[in-house]
Amino acid sequence: MNLNLDFAAILERWPVFLDGALLTLELAFIATVLGALIGALGAIGRRSSHPLIARICGIYVESIRNTPLLVQIFLVYFGLASLGMKFSAFTVAAAALTINVGAYTTEIMRAGFDSIPRGQIEAAEGLALSRPQIYWHVVLWPAIEKVYPALTSQFVLLMLASSVTSQISAEELTAVANYVQSDTYRAFETYILVAIAYVFLSLIMRAGFWLLGLVLFPRRRRLGTPL
Amino acid sequence: MMKRSFYTVAVATVCMAALGSVAARADLLDDVMKARKVRIATDLAIPPSGMVDGNMKPTGSDVETAQLLAKDWGLELEFVQTTGATRIPNVQTNKADIIISTLSVTPERAKVIDFTKAYAALQSVVGCLKSLEVKNWEDLKGKTIAVSRGTTQDTELTNMKDRNLTLARFDDDATMVTAALSGQADCVATSATIVNQIGVKNAARAFEPKVVIRNFDLAIGLRKGEPRLTEKLNEWITTNLKNGKLNEIYKKFHGSELPADMRG
Repeated sequence: MNLNLDFAAILERWPVFLDGALLTLELAFIATVLGALIGALGAIGRRSSHPLIARICGIYVESIRNTPLLVQIFLVYFGLASLGMKFSAFTVAAAALTINVGAYTTEIMRAGFDSIPRGQIEAAEGLALSRPQIYWHVVLWPAIEKVYPALTSQFVLLMLASSVTSQISAEELTAVANYVQSDTYRAFETYILVAIAYVFLSLIMRAGFWLLGLVLFPRRRRLGTPL
Repeated sequence: MMKRSFYTVAVATVCMAALGSVAARADLLDDVMKARKVRIATDLAIPPSGMVDGNMKPTGSDVETAQLLAKDWGLELEFVQTTGATRIPNVQTNKADIIISTLSVTPERAKVIDFTKAYAALQSVVGCLKSLEVKNWEDLKGKTIAVSRGTTQDTELTNMKDRNLTLARFDDDATMVTAALSGQADCVATSATIVNQIGVKNAARAFEPKVVIRNFDLAIGLRKGEPRLTEKLNEWITTNLKNGKLNEIYKKFHGSELPADMRG
């Protein structure tokens, strides 16, 4: 086998790759922030004593977790346009990723909530904390801390999954790679570089989550041990 | 590896030499007239130029062009089914007399076969919703143009940096057409044929070619060194462009007329 790799032709296009990587990070950031919010609310809703709310949240989680992301993206992109609502590819990509990751985050958060022992809540009641105080200090934050590693993985996965939004013309990293390789016929080199770029993006995100963990969870900062 | 490619070249050279001598001996026009039959290489898997209808009969613009030629010359017609890649080898190895199969004229091809004058054109255009007022590149500013990633249209529009075009790149023609049908894009850059077909799929969102990017000449191809046949084919093309028959065939299958300077 005679493998002839030429990275020079690809590397000279670094500005477009940088644009693509920034757009990928932007998509991941928006979807992570909004997805975490949806996830927290969804998990609370799913555990609600109100059966209708619990049911609605359940349907949302199950319908998203049992359909492919690409199909969801096409549904939002072409579906909304058919109804006369036109949004840019970037908006649709961010929205579809948020909806998708929101469902997974709901499930992860629910697991966190379920892991809080009843005794802990009863102890808080014994100390005469109000219901919002109990939810905030005794349930929500310890729950998030417990599932924090799982959440980190999920959001990194989401960043990697954003590559399929190239299908609806969002110009993120994979879309840039598809274009460059079709123009230079250097497919192997292009995708090697893009794979390395994704590894870096993942490391950046993991480092970010590690720092955020130190800020959010004082015990981790002080004791250096996870819960 | 090196050795094998050397043999390939050697064998190919011998074959070419043999072919050349055959071509020198006989005149293709005489052969065709004597056999009272013309063998035409056509790809029947590229609608609407070449395809098979519901009764498994060949049809399409190239097929009707071939049928018109055979009828005018009073010859029996034999279709030699081919694919895009085997069109040229078919005439080089004398399996077919001529090629009528959306063959665009390129300098590389001209080195191995001869071309007649153009009988049709492949039009690369920006098409928009019929209701849009678009007449030139200036009018396209600020409109999203859907395009298939990596196609010639993508490359050409991307290079027009000073025209400030907004491109939305899709991974294939099907997704691009869906974007146009669903309303995500009001303009597409592709062949005129596909632009016209959008309206067939959804009459509410009919598109029409607005700005021409480039026309690719389509010509009849034949093996090198057949000046008499080439000359006769050129005469036939000129006549049928003038009397409008070729334009009629093109319009029937592609939905738009041939470029005005060709019809002249």
